[in-house]
Amino acid sequence: MTAVLEKSQTRLLEKIKECLDKLNEKMEVFIELQKSEQKPDNILPGLPETLDVMTLLSLPDHLRKTAITLCKLGEATADEVAENTKRARAVESGYLNQLVLMGYLKKERRGRKTYFYVEK
Amino acid sequence: MGKIIAIHSYKGGTGKTLMSINLATTLAAHGKKVALLDLDFRAPSLYAALKTNGTEYWLNDYLNNICEIKRAIIDLTEKYDFKNGGKFLVSLANPNTEAIRDMSAKDRKWEMRALGRLLALKNSLLNDMELDFIIFDTSPGLQYSSINAIVSADVVLVVTTQDTSDVQGTKRMIQELYDLFDKKALLLLNKTLFCTSSFEKEKETVTKQYEKTHNLPVLQVVPCYCDVLRAGGTLIFSKEKPDHPFTKILEEIATKIEKS
Repeated sequence: MTAVLEKSQTRLLEKIKECLDKLNEKMEVFIELQKSEQKPDNILPGLPETLDVMTLLSLPDHLRKTAITLCKLGEATADEVAENTKRARAVESGYLNQLVLMGYLKKERRGRKTYFYVEK
Repeated sequence: MGKIIAIHSYKGGTGKTLMSINLATTLAAHGKKVALLDLDFRAPSLYAALKTNGTEYWLNDYLNNICEIKRAIIDLTEKYDFKNGGKFLVSLANPNTEAIRDMSAKDRKWEMRALGRLLALKNSLLNDMELDFIIFDTSPGLQYSSINAIVSADVVLVVTTQDTSDVQGTKRMIQELYDLFDKKALLLLNKTLFCTSSFEKEKETVTKQYEKTHNLPVLQVVPCYCDVLRAGGTLIFSKEKPDHPFTKILEEIATKIEKS
């Protein structure tokens, strides 16, 4: 009986953690958007944009680094991008989500991980 | 893991193709496995310089997602008789007018995918085929095909001359392109004219001057040789003129690249 209870508690805790992760990611996006003084209303999420080299050149330095790293990796989590750029995971997560909002990247949740990519 | 080297310049006619072919073959003569790719789709030149009989698939086909890179590669190792494990592979740009027109009319989406396919060469050529070097012979200036090549490369060799418009354009290109992409770039001063016989001393002065102007290291200073111009871009110096001073300079460049 106690074992079953413990199991359901663990599951509940996992669920809470997952929700907190999602919330955290959204917060990072808003922080990032505020930093770049763009209001979310002005951005149409998911509107596909082309991430070609001329576009890469026009991006601000911090986003360009993230975008090129993702181009090189093909598909990656914020952790994997952070490992490459040697910047903090939370920072990369913010930049990646901003690029998603700008329409340059797409993201997909698989289990607990979120994968970012340019194109399938 | 192997390296991708892009050979680029601001202006045309600086000697990119000459350097690409001769650097690739010098490395192959050193026993390295090298693939040379013609990325100048507007003015293809490798097919003529190497006097090849054409190919079933071109590099254009690889970028157009028609074939895998292996199908667009010709193995010239035997033709030039490279020994001790050296390999010389080439992939050509299609010189037909129709193909040139097709490549100049690509949209941004195509260019984005082409970048992806160039980046994928790291896996297919350097990892799977275990090549030591991929050399991109690029188109001059700032256009899609050359910027795609630069973004995919590990190192860019910037071929430059003493021409004033070339010097100024190169300077701008370094600041507004290579620096923005955080690219490791090295200068290759080609067709350098020397007034006196004291080559070493003048070379030092020229090196300092260019390093100051461009804020990049000079990999090598290459004098202007009439023999090189006379050869019309078809001589493979390491094979055909082993004792020529130009061959010796290529040896030095190849050794520095192998060590870097």
